[in-house]
Amino acid sequence: MANETLDKAKVKEAVQRRKKETYTPVIPVQQFGFVHNNVDCIGCRACEIACKDKNGLAPGPRFRRVMYVEGGTYPDVYAYKVNMSCNHCAEPACLPTCPTGAIFKRVKDGIVDIDSSLCIGCRRCEAACPFGAPQFIPDQNIVSKCNMCVDEIDAGRKPYCVQACMMRVLDIGPIDQLRAGTYPTKAVAPHEKVVRQVKSMANPELTNPSIVFVPHSKGIVEDKGAK
Amino acid sequence: MSGQDWQDKLKSALKMDRRSFLKTTAVGSAAIAAGGLTLKPKEAQAFAYEPYPRDNDLTTVVTSCAHNCGSRHMLVAHKKGDVIVRLSTDDGRYQKGGEFGKDTFEEPQLRACLRGRSYRSRLYSQERLLYPMVRTGARGEGKFKRASWDAALDHVAGKMEELKSKYGPTALLDQSYAGASYGVLHKSDQIEGLLGRFLGMYGCRTSSWSVPSYEGTKFSSRITFGTIEDGNEDDTFAHAKLIIMWGWNPAYTFHGGNTFYYMRMAKQQGCKFVLVDPQYTDSASAYDAWWIPIRPNTDAAMMAGMVHHIFANNWQDQNFINKFTQGMDAGTMPDWAKDKENFRDYIFGKYDNTPKTPEWAAEICGVSADDIKKLAQLYATTKPAALKASWAPGRNAYGEQYNRMAAALQAMTGNIGILGGCAEGIGKAWHAEGVAYPYDEFANVFYESIKSDRWAHCVLNYPNVKREDIGLWPGGKAGDGVIPDIRGIFWQGSDWFNQLTNINKEIKAINKLDLVVCNDSTITPSGLYADVLLPVATHFERHDVALPWYKGHYYIHRPKVIEPLGESKTDFQIYTELAYRLGGEQFGKRYNPKANRDYFQHDDAVDNAYLQEWWEHKVMAHQHVEMSWEEFQKRGVYKFKLDRPHVAFQDNVEKGVPWPTASGKIEIFSGQLAQYDDWTKTAYGHEIPAIPKWIVPWEYLGDKEKTVKHPFHLISPHPRHRTHSIFNNVGWLRETYSQEVTINASDAKKLGIKTGDTVEVFNDRGKVVVPAYVTERCMPGVLVLHEGAWLDLDENGIDRSGNPDMLTLDEPSPAGSFAYNTVLANVQKTDLAHKPGWDQLSTARSHVFRRDL
Repeated sequence: MANETLDKAKVKEAVQRRKKETYTPVIPVQQFGFVHNNVDCIGCRACEIACKDKNGLAPGPRFRRVMYVEGGTYPDVYAYKVNMSCNHCAEPACLPTCPTGAIFKRVKDGIVDIDSSLCIGCRRCEAACPFGAPQFIPDQNIVSKCNMCVDEIDAGRKPYCVQACMMRVLDIGPIDQLRAGTYPTKAVAPHEKVVRQVKSMANPELTNPSIVFVPHSKGIVEDKGAK
Repeated sequence: MSGQDWQDKLKSALKMDRRSFLKTTAVGSAAIAAGGLTLKPKEAQAFAYEPYPRDNDLTTVVTSCAHNCGSRHMLVAHKKGDVIVRLSTDDGRYQKGGEFGKDTFEEPQLRACLRGRSYRSRLYSQERLLYPMVRTGARGEGKFKRASWDAALDHVAGKMEELKSKYGPTALLDQSYAGASYGVLHKSDQIEGLLGRFLGMYGCRTSSWSVPSYEGTKFSSRITFGTIEDGNEDDTFAHAKLIIMWGWNPAYTFHGGNTFYYMRMAKQQGCKFVLVDPQYTDSASAYDAWWIPIRPNTDAAMMAGMVHHIFANNWQDQNFINKFTQGMDAGTMPDWAKDKENFRDYIFGKYDNTPKTPEWAAEICGVSADDIKKLAQLYATTKPAALKASWAPGRNAYGEQYNRMAAALQAMTGNIGILGGCAEGIGKAWHAEGVAYPYDEFANVFYESIKSDRWAHCVLNYPNVKREDIGLWPGGKAGDGVIPDIRGIFWQGSDWFNQLTNINKEIKAINKLDLVVCNDSTITPSGLYADVLLPVATHFERHDVALPWYKGHYYIHRPKVIEPLGESKTDFQIYTELAYRLGGEQFGKRYNPKANRDYFQHDDAVDNAYLQEWWEHKVMAHQHVEMSWEEFQKRGVYKFKLDRPHVAFQDNVEKGVPWPTASGKIEIFSGQLAQYDDWTKTAYGHEIPAIPKWIVPWEYLGDKEKTVKHPFHLISPHPRHRTHSIFNNVGWLRETYSQEVTINASDAKKLGIKTGDTVEVFNDRGKVVVPAYVTERCMPGVLVLHEGAWLDLDENGIDRSGNPDMLTLDEPSPAGSFAYNTVLANVQKTDLAHKPGWDQLSTARSHVFRRDL
């Protein structure tokens, strides 16, 4: 099924406009980002289900993904969780790949969103994202993803995933303050430091993602401390 | 918007009180300006298009989740018209004095878990039962036709009369259980349930005693402490210096409103964690616990070894022992029992020449003697320390001995009755006012009561059944030792056919019955074996109040959020109507005194009358609550602030209040058990020692003969993505976890099994087909298969869903423990097909980031 609401003339016009533009990254007034505690997270995925319910997603596409990492050899084992949705990157790889300009970055808070009325379902953004954020919605033939619940943000609240977290290990805030450790959040304990990258995660230099983690000792990437 | 702007906005949102919040939802954000708040009076303009309705466009109703799952949390339904569009949870706004974001130590938010958040999917699922149905095919075949309520109820009533007159007052088996409601009015429960009251008043009821989850643990708590209220509230865990999670996985079961979260606070305060479990669970990783893998069903032996080491080094709190315990040692034995065995002398081998040393225990449980000693020392020398002896190791052959042994450890170290300590056991803490339905002399009338996992044995072997074979509870109205002639089953809030032990035996038994009636909101595997399916309104579609589950001190209002779907009715409506049909005004009015015959059509006023009476005469009168029923309904939640942290037995220790046992002490030596002379006349049937002992289970890895054929020990813990069998049909949850058998990597290598391979797990009782999950996080020789998968049999009776109860034995421990975790089995690769019950192709590609193997 194609995107039935698609206005073909409008898309054509958008493609023309898009071709004329040279992409310069939007510099937001304030970049919001996520923080997740990889160790204290029990991996319950309440955030994932809250997200699916909020966004009306069928089984399949997952805007938020709690990933399980485990290792070691019995009985000396370890496990931790890495929780990601869209990282609302400073330099989003998805944005310039979009042929219709459906992907945009908000100036006021740096949230990256997709205008579904312009999406033609070409899935280029899906391939471009190093973090697997864009999700193809088969029954609508479009790509969609986390928009940090902009409606909640604009109403002065926090996104559904953050509000769902039973362990209070997932939060949002201004990313510069999160990186500096100056933003008050229950996700980070007083003695803990945050990092921009954990093991097995794509290089943050690619897109400058707006996310920090409290890493597990086995998940620390050498020489990539908090920026 | 700058960061500062945003924080201002959050801050001003925090000032929103409940009243203006309600206004907002009703008339849009213009009301915010009218309320004098600084939010800009315009609609959120986030979208150039409208993919879904925003919260401010929707009606907001506070309610809760409903199942007997391990916790109870707030759900907030956002609805448009009569449709729930989405759910959110507690964000601090709804309680008295609340505001957005309020989340304090005393009044934490009651945030729903993944199961609660997925409710909408279950509510509107394809498996939702909407109309009365009558079976047309064979039992289990799944062929039904729609019937009118009139026809269905007449059929049931007619059959009931027939069976009662032909076979007497034990012909109908009550298998209600706690699946439908953990509320105060619409109760499905063995003792305080609507079905029990209905069948008991009708004069034909065989009851089912024993709780599958924790019967052994319950026995231990009752025998040792005289009560099952041996629990602390969840916040007390934040004060512990050491938490030993014995078979306990709060990351899966949650166990109380915020237990897991308070444990995180404890960790931040420097609390050390230990996990004794065959699996390295997510709880172990989140709390960075020292993992001690243990062979299943050998916990009592390891604990005996710890007791030995503590006594041998004189680390015990002898003062506590002398003051508060009975039978811990020779000095604390009652005068009348000086010649009986005491616990300390048993541990040192006085009676059997076997000292229960750590070395002795190491041989049995597969934990090194050094680790046993180290843990014993850690526990005996850290104060306060919480040994949380959870239920799972109690779901074993002689599981009650494990729980009693744990109670002995808790007592001998003086960790009972102190903040940060733990006497659990059952762990039921704050006492809620739990009953709003008519509870009188007709509640829980039974003509006989059998052990619930023995029903199939009873039906298949009638009348050649001994009372001790079926755990006949003394005091049935039918007489002393009458074996019930069961001809029909009623299910309410119960998928027991899928959940009790040894399903193959159940399948044989159910085909001998004349009537099977299933009340449910979902078509369950049990329902497929029923003759009549009666559609029941979910908790979103009826009026009730939710209780906290074992830990937590709050009530959550559950209004009728939407009208019942299809032709569903509440259980209370169904039994009231049946009562009128069977016994006219006399039965109907007596069963449901506040209602008339039209209750089947109009239940709102009656339900509200019961609830209001409960609130005003119980909650307000007994619990010093001043909030009116009207205000409670408007807010949706009442959170209690306790004068002091709720610690079980604090007054017993501090003020010398006697324990509710016969001796007034913690009975390590049970006077009650020591004085039985004819065990067959008890519900237990067989002897139970008066002191905690290690008793060799009938199947375990230490059995040299049985492990030749079945070399693996299978355990079936509670999953995170289901509540027992509930939610098994929710696609959202299915994509987050798979029904799979966990196997240790070295074992898997020997068998050539890799993660994702389809394997069959089997023993002489049955066979299941599931994918394998190969990991280093599981002890060698152990298989883990989560309970509750929906039975899906092939033509040869092989279960393709992976329900472990195809392999369990329906032989309970004498004290009543269901032996769910006492199972030897084997595993091998197979060509048989697994049926996951949903479209696996739609699993997201990032399901597993990396399983490091």
